[in-house]
Amino acid sequence: MTPILVLALGTFLLRYLPWLGERGPSPDQAGPALVVALFLVSAFGPPPSWLWAKTLAALWVVFLTWRLSRHLGLSVLLGMAAYALF
Amino acid sequence: MAALPSPTPSPLRQGLLAAWPVALGYFPVAVAFGMAGAGAGLAPLAVQLLSLLVFAGASQFAFLGLLAEGASPWLAAGVALLLNLRHAFYGPALRPYLKGHPLLAFFLTDEVFAVALKFLPGLPQAARAGFFLGLGLGAYLAWNLGTSLGAFGAARLKGLPGAGEALSFALPALFLLLALPHLRNPVALGAGLLAFALHLLGQTAWGLVLAGVLGFLWRRP
Repeated sequence: MTPILVLALGTFLLRYLPWLGERGPSPDQAGPALVVALFLVSAFGPPPSWLWAKTLAALWVVFLTWRLSRHLGLSVLLGMAAYALF
Repeated sequence: MAALPSPTPSPLRQGLLAAWPVALGYFPVAVAFGMAGAGAGLAPLAVQLLSLLVFAGASQFAFLGLLAEGASPWLAAGVALLLNLRHAFYGPALRPYLKGHPLLAFFLTDEVFAVALKFLPGLPQAARAGFFLGLGLGAYLAWNLGTSLGAFGAARLKGLPGAGEALSFALPALFLLLALPHLRNPVALGAGLLAFALHLLGQTAWGLVLAGVLGFLWRRP
């Protein structure tokens, strides 16, 4: 139980302490860089395989739905359906 | 009688509504986490406690995986904390929008961070904290309800046809939409590709930390 509590406290402090400081370097591009990185690592698991083609096709469906509807949830749902069907 | 004008949703409710794509992605992963916890021999209550107190999916999975491999709980907690190092970059990126509310940092997961970064700049200052609270609560509830279902109820859930594959794509689809505005930003794209290269080498967590550091240090040309 104690390691779980330490993990919980450590995780909270990693999130909390950098937020608390009022000064320090500007985060500038950290947010966009992390979002792009999160997209790439969540979409394409190693090693490269035919699954990447299936993922790309489903991502294309997500992108097209977004362009046509501008609806976040609908785009995600149709992408999920496409991924299951491809 | 004249119809009343439809009220504007409160910031909290707006945040909850914005959370549903995140919740959609979290729920099945959380169910899987709960089931994995039971499989690793942890008591359902301990599995639930992890989700309630830590609320960080990848590190929770790592913690379980190491326990299942026979590692000591302290080593497992240390490795899980290393995985969470990237969270240190999220607070400073959101601080300009949420000054004075550092306790909201508890909800800073990857996905909550990304959705918040998309919506907060367009909201009035007075609505931002409420919106973020709603967003975080929506994600937190989905993660914990899914964990409960997986940990306490779930042998019956295994083998539902087709659902697992579709649900596994929810988070990549969401991240694509969140990343779209940044794909023409050379710093973001370069850091993202570097993280991806490390991901292909099996160093996903360090890749994400490096992307955060590079974004922090580089200035957009």
